[in-house]
Amino acid sequence: MFRLTMRWGAVVLVIGFLVSACAPSEEPIKNAASPIRVIAIESFLADIAQNVAGERIQIETLMPIGMDPHSFEPTPQDVRKIASSDGLIVNGAGFELFLNRLLENAGGNYQLIEASKGLTSRAVKSNEPHDEENSNDPHFWMDPTNAMQYAKNIRDGLTRIDPAGAAIYKANADAYIVKLNALDQRIRQQVIAIPKADRKLVTDHDTLGYFADRYGFETVGMIVPSFSSVDSTPAKGLAELIDAIKATKTKAVFVEANANPQLADQIAQETGARVFTGLYTHSLSEPNGPAPTYIQMLEYDTQKIVEALK
Amino acid sequence: MLYSNSPAHLEIRNLSVSYNNGARRALENISFSVPQGMRVAVVGPNGAGKSTLFKALVGLVPIERGEIFIHDAALGAHKESERLRVAYVPQRKEVDWRFPVSVNDVVMMGRYGALGWFKRPTKRDREAVQRALVEMNISNLANYPIGELSGGQQQRVFLARALAQEPHILLMDEPFTGVDATTQEATLELLNQLKAQGVTLIVSTHDLNLAAARFDRVLLLNHSVIAYGAPAQVFTTENLIRAFGTHAMFVEGTMIVDDCCAGDAPHTLGESPALELIER
Amino acid sequence: MMEILTQPLMYGFMQRGMLASVMVGILCAVVGCYVVLRGMAYLGDAMSHAILPGVAVAYILKGEILIGALIAAIVVALGIGFFTRRGTIKEDTAIGILFAATLSLGVALISTIKTYALDLTHILFGNVLGVSDTDLILIAVLGAVVLLTIVLLYKELLVVSFDPVLAATLRLPVERLKNVLLILIALAVVVSMQTVGVGLVAAMLVTPAATAYLLTRRLPAMMVVSAALGALASIIGLYLSFYLNIVSGAAVVLTATIFFFIAYLFAPQRGLIWNVLGRRNAVASAPAE
Repeated sequence: MFRLTMRWGAVVLVIGFLVSACAPSEEPIKNAASPIRVIAIESFLADIAQNVAGERIQIETLMPIGMDPHSFEPTPQDVRKIASSDGLIVNGAGFELFLNRLLENAGGNYQLIEASKGLTSRAVKSNEPHDEENSNDPHFWMDPTNAMQYAKNIRDGLTRIDPAGAAIYKANADAYIVKLNALDQRIRQQVIAIPKADRKLVTDHDTLGYFADRYGFETVGMIVPSFSSVDSTPAKGLAELIDAIKATKTKAVFVEANANPQLADQIAQETGARVFTGLYTHSLSEPNGPAPTYIQMLEYDTQKIVEALK
Repeated sequence: MLYSNSPAHLEIRNLSVSYNNGARRALENISFSVPQGMRVAVVGPNGAGKSTLFKALVGLVPIERGEIFIHDAALGAHKESERLRVAYVPQRKEVDWRFPVSVNDVVMMGRYGALGWFKRPTKRDREAVQRALVEMNISNLANYPIGELSGGQQQRVFLARALAQEPHILLMDEPFTGVDATTQEATLELLNQLKAQGVTLIVSTHDLNLAAARFDRVLLLNHSVIAYGAPAQVFTTENLIRAFGTHAMFVEGTMIVDDCCAGDAPHTLGESPALELIER
Repeated sequence: MMEILTQPLMYGFMQRGMLASVMVGILCAVVGCYVVLRGMAYLGDAMSHAILPGVAVAYILKGEILIGALIAAIVVALGIGFFTRRGTIKEDTAIGILFAATLSLGVALISTIKTYALDLTHILFGNVLGVSDTDLILIAVLGAVVLLTIVLLYKELLVVSFDPVLAATLRLPVERLKNVLLILIALAVVVSMQTVGVGLVAAMLVTPAATAYLLTRRLPAMMVVSAALGALASIIGLYLSFYLNIVSGAAVVLTATIFFFIAYLFAPQRGLIWNVLGRRNAVASAPAE
């Protein structure tokens, strides 16, 4: 009895383990007759893409609204959505790095549309965190002129998937780019209301770089000195930031919607700057919220910033 | 006679053991020698270093100074082929009795040392285990999980395991503490049998009467050797006071050693307070 | 009915995810028996965080992340072994100290690397749905090595875990065997974590083994039952994850936890209900003196 259990236990364990390792693998069979399905990872991408796609394709969003992309963990249905889609729109430039493994192994044969393709990263200033290889700032969309490139890339991607709709996508993209131009003008005009000396931004993490570059703001610093929202803050960095805020007489600290303003409040107490929460940068708001579309998101953020600094 | 060709002669020379890198001296300059087949009782107050002595003998605690000779060879200098069989029966509290092993498993562990790496127990090993179980009268419990045994049964499992090791020297730490009378008698009976087989026995106990009545020699220990020899020579008033200090007192010609709360080694749960009597 | 079972398996990622979590389920469940029996329940959690500095260093030196994680885990395993040598410090204390120290070292190292791409936590803590064929081979090979070692060293690891004093008197290399065990746990943690996520590993290391402990009375049986529970929880968990649209790792862990609760209530001998209702029978059938 004793030996029997032991031997069998050992045999069952090792063989069972190895058998499970050798089982065959098959890719899913796709139904050719189904309508075209295109998914965008972030909600603002979906909105831009929907403007390009018009009525022809319904664009789906992968990440729930309001979710920090860094804490997003996909379910099997999410992966299935990707695997069975015809096109997947990503921001690119390393923004969805954490999804790479998933995308590589999701299977299916969708067209990958990288929205930021062709854009070059802004020069990250030497006082900002960077290293030689990975100094890309992927938050291109915070500048509407970059979003024009997004629209063009999405237009080309949709055309690859659905050549029959080429003319529609082109017309839609052109029309949207006109709107983006107008948005750019509106933001410029609003920013004029802020005295030049006060055009200084402190944010909870470095998402407003392109916005600042485009509209003549100085980024004094960020609370989490990395582009990613998951790193924590070294005490020295925080002290330096407080000094910088005092030295530049920066008026406001901006915190994104759904972020924890605890550190920002701390800084505000030390420096006398005011904390403004609720910027939308990584996700749109709910449809009935203040920033349900990409254009409204930038308008809302601009309005917040202008109100805080003028 | 199982080991007629391998007399287990044990000699300890100037042994010192400390804990915490010399901060606390547990054993001080211990020397004694045990001829083959002798039954030695180790007695002394709590914290006198009885368990430490046993652990030093099986190599569980590092020796600070001194030497241990078994078969006239220093401890640790023995070749694998003539592997020494020093069996150690620890106090029962020292293992986790909820561990999912059967009585048979535990006794078989006594054979693991001689088995060698990667080897499964052979027929010979299983027979040795069976013999040990029969000897300790627990063969009916062979497939029971150890967690379901009574204290006395657990003690017998330990003894059976020691038997399965076919030891030359058997060390037992407090085997009479917290066991029923049946188990105590079975243990003493086992000691007699083992002595007849030429096994050298070293047993620690609180029971001075038992030490005097059932053992060939007594080692009276309190960090150093107070006395060593035949019970009558060792158990003198002077020696007992030197060993137990103020815990020894005399009531109408009888010496009472109140060893309940001395020292820092806690008693086993459920143990009766050690009030030991010895005729003067 | 059959379709419910086959439909998720139409997808390559579900097949690979299923295989990966079954293998990890078995591996962790078997290794976990020692974790549970030796009372080191939070070792898995500790170890999965303790590898952070290894990952950071591997990243800085542009080496293989997995190798860095493995080295860190083994260093931590040996560190625990070192501090608990001869009982100087209790095992859980040593684990606690090293866990906090290595986690902090990892965070400190990462804070020196300031780049967007370094989203280490996500690189580190994989998702079972993102498992590649290479990952599968890696789990299979390292897992087989760990399981084979456990089978080959069965009696040595048993005696070292149950009664280290006896092991020492048998002249077994106790400290080295303890280290082997810690390294096996480290390997299981690293291999599993890379593919299925940190939360899953810590739970899979403890929950199926604890369940099996309630249901069995001997170690080999405990290991087999634990492995079976680990595998079953992985399969059921992934189906639930597919149909209820919840995160896979969490679904597997919750399934394993439900198994545990069932066993805790209904297990013969050790279960709650057996204990409440069956006391009288138990007394009647207790072993005779």
